[in-house]
Amino acid sequence: MENASKSPLANEPLLRIEGVSKIYDGHIKAVDQVTLNVASGEIFALLGGSGCGKSTLLRMLAGFETPSQGRIYLGGTDITELPAYQRPINMMFQSYALFPHLSVSDNIAFGLRRDGMAKESIAERVEAMLKLVQLSQYGKRKPHQLSGGQQQRVALARSIAKQPKLLLLDEPLGALDKKLRVSTQIELVNIIEEVGVTCVLVTHDQEEAMTMATRMAVMSAGSFLQVGSPKDIYQQPNSRQVADFIGSVNIFDGLVKENHTDYVLVQCADALLRAPSNQACHLGMAVGVAIRPEKMALSRKKPTAKVNHVAGVVVEMAYFGAHTSYHVKLASGKVLQVQVQSQADEDNADLSWGDAVYASWGDSAMVLLTQ
Amino acid sequence: MASLMQSLKGSTPAWLTGRRLVIGLPYAWFLILALLPVLIVLKISLSEMQTTAVSGMVSWQGAWPQIKIDVSSYLFLAFDELYLLTYLSSIQYAFYTTVICLGLGYPFAYFMARAPKHWQALLLMLIMLPFWTSFLLRIYAWKTLLVNNGLINSALLALGWIDSPIEMLNTPFSLMLGMVYSYLPFMILPLYANLSKLDGRYLEAAADLGCHPFKTFWLITVPLSKAGIVAGCMLVFIPAVGEYVIPELLGGPNTLMIGRVLWDEFFSNNDWPMASAVTIVMLLLIMLPLTIYNKLQSEGRA
Repeated sequence: MENASKSPLANEPLLRIEGVSKIYDGHIKAVDQVTLNVASGEIFALLGGSGCGKSTLLRMLAGFETPSQGRIYLGGTDITELPAYQRPINMMFQSYALFPHLSVSDNIAFGLRRDGMAKESIAERVEAMLKLVQLSQYGKRKPHQLSGGQQQRVALARSIAKQPKLLLLDEPLGALDKKLRVSTQIELVNIIEEVGVTCVLVTHDQEEAMTMATRMAVMSAGSFLQVGSPKDIYQQPNSRQVADFIGSVNIFDGLVKENHTDYVLVQCADALLRAPSNQACHLGMAVGVAIRPEKMALSRKKPTAKVNHVAGVVVEMAYFGAHTSYHVKLASGKVLQVQVQSQADEDNADLSWGDAVYASWGDSAMVLLTQ
Repeated sequence: MASLMQSLKGSTPAWLTGRRLVIGLPYAWFLILALLPVLIVLKISLSEMQTTAVSGMVSWQGAWPQIKIDVSSYLFLAFDELYLLTYLSSIQYAFYTTVICLGLGYPFAYFMARAPKHWQALLLMLIMLPFWTSFLLRIYAWKTLLVNNGLINSALLALGWIDSPIEMLNTPFSLMLGMVYSYLPFMILPLYANLSKLDGRYLEAAADLGCHPFKTFWLITVPLSKAGIVAGCMLVFIPAVGEYVIPELLGGPNTLMIGRVLWDEFFSNNDWPMASAVTIVMLLLIMLPLTIYNKLQSEGRA
């Protein structure tokens, strides 16, 4: 890995963002010293709440905003100052921004015509694009005559028609209703992979980021909290904020009681926890221990182990079909979320409101959070 | 209070409530103040002029009403070249006024819509400001500016740029100046209203697809502001065709405009049927293209 970053010519990433900041009115840092490499063929997601700077970063890649500091390189070329209309980058806009006065075909052909492509080649390409997004019958329609899902596909076709080096997606599924979103996610990824275009997408929906991206960055207050594969970030969040943002999580606060090379003992209000160690922690340090709800088990019987279990009372339960979700109130007043697979739940079939239970989990289910 | 409302409610006839009233009022207004006068004018145009009054259209022969329609005014209109020339020249002046207003108004509205928000209110104020002074006064003011010993000629003479005053007043130039000056706000306002609503994302999308800003203007901004252009052109063209005051005060005796012919027929010749026929034909000349345009528009959208 280190070698790769030291020899940029041999292994230049497709997109290189170097210390980019965007400062408004002299002091408001929308994007703060962001550095990132995106390799060719990746689908990279920028995930964060509103106002975290993800859209500003995307707009700087598209060329609609100029960075206050830092450089952006595409395929080794500095594009920081290049105007939007000269960048080999295309974007699919949040609510599509399809030209309302042009037909679907003319929308898709718009970018190709600007390149001075021959008429026959344009017609061919438009035809191929329509086929790719399964809208061959709709070329002559106006955007307002299409459904939301169809408009989304036209927007995608328009943004990949020019075969850009980099495709930007701004909340690609944000305007669709929930049911359509799930099927469209998969369809979208299939098309992107079929075309083989490198992709940076912006979303506030962690599920969307997890399903679509090969790698992602969690953003907050203009900078990256963590960059990694969806699995890494879900399993090994590096901070409370990331753990909290991605999926549901239970976090126990406690003090490090024993610090060993392969594990640490953390004393919490409700239990003694034995978690995998973390280089940054030291004896007596105040830490958080994160456990995902689906990694816990519920039982009426007290577990035999000395660590990694808590006692509580069921205060809430909801059946979701594939799994059942419980809220368990602990002695300290903390409410734990526990998710149990329905098959594994036969022992607990008669669990009900007000029952006393034990929640337990293995060592590897925990992540020690030092920040 | 509640009981008062109750009693008021009780006393209102059923047909005069809420919805009907709201829809009915504008219709009533239109019928009484627009359609009815036009019908009266139409009636007069088909009547015969008697020394001081217009003849009645319906006369009674026993129990049978006799309707007398006199189309002589229209025949006269069709065969006298003067009227045709006046119509053409009116339409020509109105057309040039519209084109110049569009040429001047579009950039104005465009930059106004793109100005910072706090500037926009001020610019809008400046456009409305002339309306605080009487239209007639403003046209008279132009007269004093353009006349041979007026401000402009005096200034040019004093600067030594010209040797003798330029004949400006009572020429087609002064007429066009007055028309464009008067109608420009009616072009700018609908264009501004339209352009300020233009979604910036369309411009970004065009740039993103490799379109140069100049080209984006013609390919995206102009087509998307079509509704504003049409509204502005109608607001300028229609009243400009029938304009009377500006040609009378700035146009001189040789400018042929239908408004002045109308005035002459009504008040100099005292020929009301002729004047009414001129009016009806003018109305048709303006309405027909508009109706056709509207029909095409709605068909194109369906």
